Amino acid sequence: MSVPDETFHIDIVDVGSVTASTDKTLLESIERQNIDVHYHCREGFCGACRTKLLCGSVTYTTDPLAFIDDDEILPCCCIPRSPLKIDIPR
Amino acid sequence: MKYTTFNQQSVNTLAEPMFFGMPVNVARYDQQRHSIFEKLIEKQISFFWRPEEVDVTRDRVDFQKLTDPEKHIFISNLKYQTLLDSVQGRSPNIAFLPIISLPELETWVETWSFFETIHSRSYTHILRNLFSDPSDIFDDIVANEEIKRRASDISRYYDDLIFATQLWQTQGEGTHTVNGETHVISQRELKKKLYLCMNSVNALEAIRFYVSFACTFAFAERKLMEGNSKIIRLIARDENLHLTSTQHILNLWAKGKDDPEMAEIAEECKEEAREIFMCAVEQEKEWADYLFKDGSMIGLNKQILCEYVEYIANQRMSAIGLDTPFDVKSNPLPWMNNYLNSDNVQVAPQEAEISSYLVGQIDSSVSEDDFADFEL
Repeated sequence: MSVPDETFHIDIVDVGSVTASTDKTLLESIERQNIDVHYHCREGFCGACRTKLLCGSVTYTTDPLAFIDDDEILPCCCIPRSPLKIDIPR
Repeated sequence: MKYTTFNQQSVNTLAEPMFFGMPVNVARYDQQRHSIFEKLIEKQISFFWRPEEVDVTRDRVDFQKLTDPEKHIFISNLKYQTLLDSVQGRSPNIAFLPIISLPELETWVETWSFFETIHSRSYTHILRNLFSDPSDIFDDIVANEEIKRRASDISRYYDDLIFATQLWQTQGEGTHTVNGETHVISQRELKKKLYLCMNSVNALEAIRFYVSFACTFAFAERKLMEGNSKIIRLIARDENLHLTSTQHILNLWAKGKDDPEMAEIAEECKEEAREIFMCAVEQEKEWADYLFKDGSMIGLNKQILCEYVEYIANQRMSAIGLDTPFDVKSNPLPWMNNYLNSDNVQVAPQEAEISSYLVGQIDSSVSEDDFADFEL
């Protein structure tokens, strides 16, 4: 049984807010709104997209291999599970 | 402590630190202190590739068309990368294996080094195709001052750790005189050397390859040397994974999730570790200077390349808890991401089994007529 796609409100510190759907990775959702995020591998092993998660929760599509701190996520391989507040390093 | 290839004492590896605990005995992965290393092993093995699978024959034609400054850029980068992978193909094994205490980390280091030897073989594959006798190029690696200067900085921390480990494993702790030189060996000093060495390796994997990668991909953007670029793309993907592993090791130490003494040392040597990183950044910028001494190439110049080095240095320094000293806000070479993205690295494992199948095939004989019956 598949879970129907949902959309969540993503608040990006100092940038603005976007909506993200659960049928795409968070990175893809953010990119669709023309916001620059660092990335390299897009597969969770390089850590270039490391982002601070201030509020909310995500699930991973693949096990993230790159080092991330307890309060960090890898947008390239995660999907929002709730509205999020994130801080993209720039 | 004397090294043994099979420690007869029963060891609980769940309680051992990554380094300087008991020597590993059984290569078992059913219980792991740091399971990340097994995940890295699996990922790395899934990346397996052979240089011969990539067709580089068209590059010979392209190479003849390059200007002399461009030839200098291309060949110098290959020399530098050959040096880096020569070091990396052996040093993690020699420096780290004798002091590692966890089976999953031991196997990761062996897997990591093995992939560096694939890279070394790929440089010969590229050069054999470009020159009927590439020996002058290889010979120059140990004669070229620019490369030698980098080589001594890269190998210094490894050599230091290896020598101290050898003394410790044969003579034990204490003050030893070898060839008139006095060496004070204590476990704490060894751990410091290990910490600095790991930082130097981390900086190597994080920064040192990227000036050459940028040049290679700049050629590929102009549809030149594409076979070479396919190979470098595979190498870049591997190096990214190696970097992830050194970042994990440094962070496990710093956050006190491994050996508590290493957490103290990480705090104590933070400034020195930062210096190692900054020095690598500086050397890379100087390398850009050397590359472009006779003239630049389309799409790249020294300044933009230096900015790119600063841009990735910021990212990689923050990943290990350092400050971000450079003021570069956006990616100066956005097209680089298309080459570093693993989606664009072609993988066909079932086909890679057949040696005649070329994974990185480049269609070298397409004429305009082939599209004559095409309509949109």
